[in-house]
Amino acid sequence: MIRFILVQNRQGKTRLEKWYSQYSEQERHKLKAEVHRTVASRDQKHQSNFVEFHNHRIVYRRYAGLFFCFCIDTNDNELAYLEGIHLFVEVLDSYHGNVCELDLVFNFYLVYAVLDEMILAGEIQETSRSVILSRLDQLSSLE
Amino acid sequence: MFEKSLTDLIQGLRANKRNEAEYIQKSLEEIQSEVQQSDMHCKSTAIDKLNYLHMLGYDTNWANFNAVEVMASPRFGEKRKGYLAAAQSFHQETDVLMLATNLIRKDLASSNAMEVSVALDGLAQVATPELATDLFDDVAAVLGHSRPFIRKRALVCLYRLVLKHPEGLHALAPQLRERLDDPDPSVVSSAVSVICELARTNPHNYLPLAPRLYQLMNSSTNNWMLIKIVKLFASLTPIEPRLAKKLHGPLSQLICSTSAMSLLYECIHTAVVGDIIGVPLPVTDNVGREIDFAELCARKLVFFYESADHNLRYVGLVTLGELQARRPELVVNQYETVLKCLDDPDLSIRMRALSVISGMATRRTLDRTVKRLMSQLILSNTIRLQPVASLPSVGSIEYGGKYNGSAADSDLMAMATDATGASLVSARGSIVQSRQLTGAGPGPADSPEYRLLVVEAIVDMCTRQSYGNLSNFEWYVAVLVDLVYTAGVDVGQLLSEKILDVTVRVRQVREFSVRLMRQMLSDRQLVGRATSGSSTAKVLCTAAYILGEYCSLLSANSEDIALLLPECFEKLDGEQQATFIQAAIKVYTNWLRDVAGYWSTEVWELVRAVTSSIISQLSDLLSARTGEGNALGGIVAVAELPLQVTSRLRHFVEITKAVSVATSNPSDNAPQLCLELHELFTAYELNPVSAAAQGKVPIPDGLDLDSPIGGPIPDTEHIMFPPPPPVSPESRPRGSQSGGGRKQRRSHKNEPFYLDGGNDAGHARSLAELPDVDDIPVVQLDLGGHGSEDAAKTRKKKKKSTKHGATKRERRNRVRTPSPPPAPVDIAGDEDMPDVSAPQPQPHSTPPAQH
Repeated sequence: MIRFILVQNRQGKTRLEKWYSQYSEQERHKLKAEVHRTVASRDQKHQSNFVEFHNHRIVYRRYAGLFFCFCIDTNDNELAYLEGIHLFVEVLDSYHGNVCELDLVFNFYLVYAVLDEMILAGEIQETSRSVILSRLDQLSSLE
Repeated sequence: MFEKSLTDLIQGLRANKRNEAEYIQKSLEEIQSEVQQSDMHCKSTAIDKLNYLHMLGYDTNWANFNAVEVMASPRFGEKRKGYLAAAQSFHQETDVLMLATNLIRKDLASSNAMEVSVALDGLAQVATPELATDLFDDVAAVLGHSRPFIRKRALVCLYRLVLKHPEGLHALAPQLRERLDDPDPSVVSSAVSVICELARTNPHNYLPLAPRLYQLMNSSTNNWMLIKIVKLFASLTPIEPRLAKKLHGPLSQLICSTSAMSLLYECIHTAVVGDIIGVPLPVTDNVGREIDFAELCARKLVFFYESADHNLRYVGLVTLGELQARRPELVVNQYETVLKCLDDPDLSIRMRALSVISGMATRRTLDRTVKRLMSQLILSNTIRLQPVASLPSVGSIEYGGKYNGSAADSDLMAMATDATGASLVSARGSIVQSRQLTGAGPGPADSPEYRLLVVEAIVDMCTRQSYGNLSNFEWYVAVLVDLVYTAGVDVGQLLSEKILDVTVRVRQVREFSVRLMRQMLSDRQLVGRATSGSSTAKVLCTAAYILGEYCSLLSANSEDIALLLPECFEKLDGEQQATFIQAAIKVYTNWLRDVAGYWSTEVWELVRAVTSSIISQLSDLLSARTGEGNALGGIVAVAELPLQVTSRLRHFVEITKAVSVATSNPSDNAPQLCLELHELFTAYELNPVSAAAQGKVPIPDGLDLDSPIGGPIPDTEHIMFPPPPPVSPESRPRGSQSGGGRKQRRSHKNEPFYLDGGNDAGHARSLAELPDVDDIPVVQLDLGGHGSEDAAKTRKKKKKSTKHGATKRERRNRVRTPSPPPAPVDIAGDEDMPDVSAPQPQPHSTPPAQH
């Protein structure tokens, strides 16, 4: 199961955070800083996308200036979650049309909505892109 | 007043990059006023802005109540903002959650599917045990909703609730079963995920679902779901062996046919972990040949960790580690490939490769593996650069100086000359290492965790199965000494234990080991780096012990004694100093005995010279530190040497005095004393003693440990801290002392300012005698040397807590029993062992304590 999801930019500012486990405010703060330190210093070309972190793993991927990090348990399939990250970014892309960091900043509640459609309580619940997008259209028509 | 929308806030933030904190403060104040307003729209915008600020790290808990208000809004958009705020910033103890219970219930029962979904989302995030209990049934009712996305959310939300409210599991399980047959594939997929998670803790409940899951596995094409199902089966197979046989077929099909890496990985992983490879049925692979399932897995795994993609390499190595634990023979032929992975720039890959390699160690491979690892350690930048604060053993001395490797380790030298960036000039006994480091970036062995692991792995590989893999013990000792120089991390304790272990147990290597130890101690640089507590100091301490213990194996040399009283003496701590002195005594007596074999006038001169120099050295040490005869007059005395050190120094002084008396006149034959002094240390051979040996010593008959040995002793404590007149004259009866009260009172005994009104067995006087001031006795302080030392001893012993609940009197009596006479031989205590107990098997023993 996913423990938390963080989207951070290269300077360490958090653009999206979603916690699926109980952490206190100070712990969250510490974790965010630690994740940024661990992930930002890695070299994409020569290192894998999986890092051992405390007794979990971080699966991350870098898209332009943003790091998408999923923190998962040790017995989970990392490759599957890597695909999950890619699916998430693809959905964001089709929804916003060529999404960039500014889109995430200004429409952050929409990003949360997409995330909630895909992942609930730490598990990936919907993997079909078309279904997610149709749901999102329904939601936006309500606004 | 204009209220700012979210967009305005963000734009404002971006415009005010320089004074962000101020801007945010201002906005927070505005938001505070906005949430108080009754207009729902205004409130929800404020909450929206707060969400954003929360993401930047600001605390927003003061607006919790307002967030709940917004959650109650009839408009969907606003409601969603409220739920988002709740999901982000509420945690288990947030008290406004109670208010939300009814609210969520209403939302769950609403006819608008969107509201239901957003309520489910929010609930899944913030579930507390109370909320879970209350709302469980409501969510369960939603499971039958007409819309599939509601159903799947309800499933996952129920899983969350069950985590907080375990009794709900009974109701959940049959629902899960039903949902597996749901027409919508995403609902099925969610059901599978939930079952997978639940089965990890409690697999038995879900075993009946296995046939249905099996069906799903064969029929589905959704890779995500397949991965989950396969993972599920990994938790089920341990409890149901027949399942393994059934899975055998479909799994191998999947492995051969699938193109998805993640699915392949999951299948192999399950096959290994779930022990499906244990099933002895053959399997047909792509070309139709029949091979063993385990081999198929191994072959596919090779593909993983030989790939250029680091991700695949990493997961491949993880699974290889698992496979090795179960079927080591399949893994051994991968030695070369895994060795290559040791150089990978990624730390996690290296760590995995390291654990696999060390599992593969055998007699033949040990050599190469250790050399490879050592070269990694040596060639890294860590030793050369200025030290990080956390590496105490690496001083600020540049390492590019003399490196005293072992002369016998020609292989090490040969390997190092091959490597780039280093050139070693070998000479017998001293290797000068001048490393011109290339301008490369941080090498593989630069992180301290990795270095620690490498050192531990090397040591582990060599000592496994009581040195089963080692064929050349001298090489092993040389490796350990090299590690002392090159480790760069704090492994001194481990290394010193291992050196001691191998030297004591393996008789043949003792001579070589002693020689190396002497070399180490003569290395000025290494010794200079040792400070108390550093790992080098621990190793040097062991070296001193070994040198002292087995000095008879080497040709005796009077410089050795000087080695053992090094300049950095003051920096070591008490234990270590004591070891050094003890070793020096042994070496001295051994040298005397040796020299007595060819006595002549020159030898006599030599003996006298050496003895007098030692005497002066020792008296320097003693007088400089114990404060006696302080030459600087009036300056604050330096910290006293610990007791064990002064006592040993005095022993040494006594011995040397005796020798100088014996050699006061030149004589033709060596004095008898010189020949015999060394006998003090060679009476018995010290062998490793098992930890259980003490328990096997039978207690002699007639031994009574409980009766007091001497008469009652006047209370020494009251000499130092006379009891103040008690505040209340009431006297407590002697008999009714509870253990707790006694302990407390004992701990208060040492505080002179604690007004203890209690009475207890140790008091020489009863309370009734004390109220009158005139009756307070004036005590004569006896400050003779022995008395104060004893008082100091008893005070020291009393400060330790009594483990056996003995009364104060008995404890004092135990302290006062005559301790063994202060002879130089501290090993006397072990003498009983070889006679009384059966000889202990060596592999389980531990080396004796160093004296």
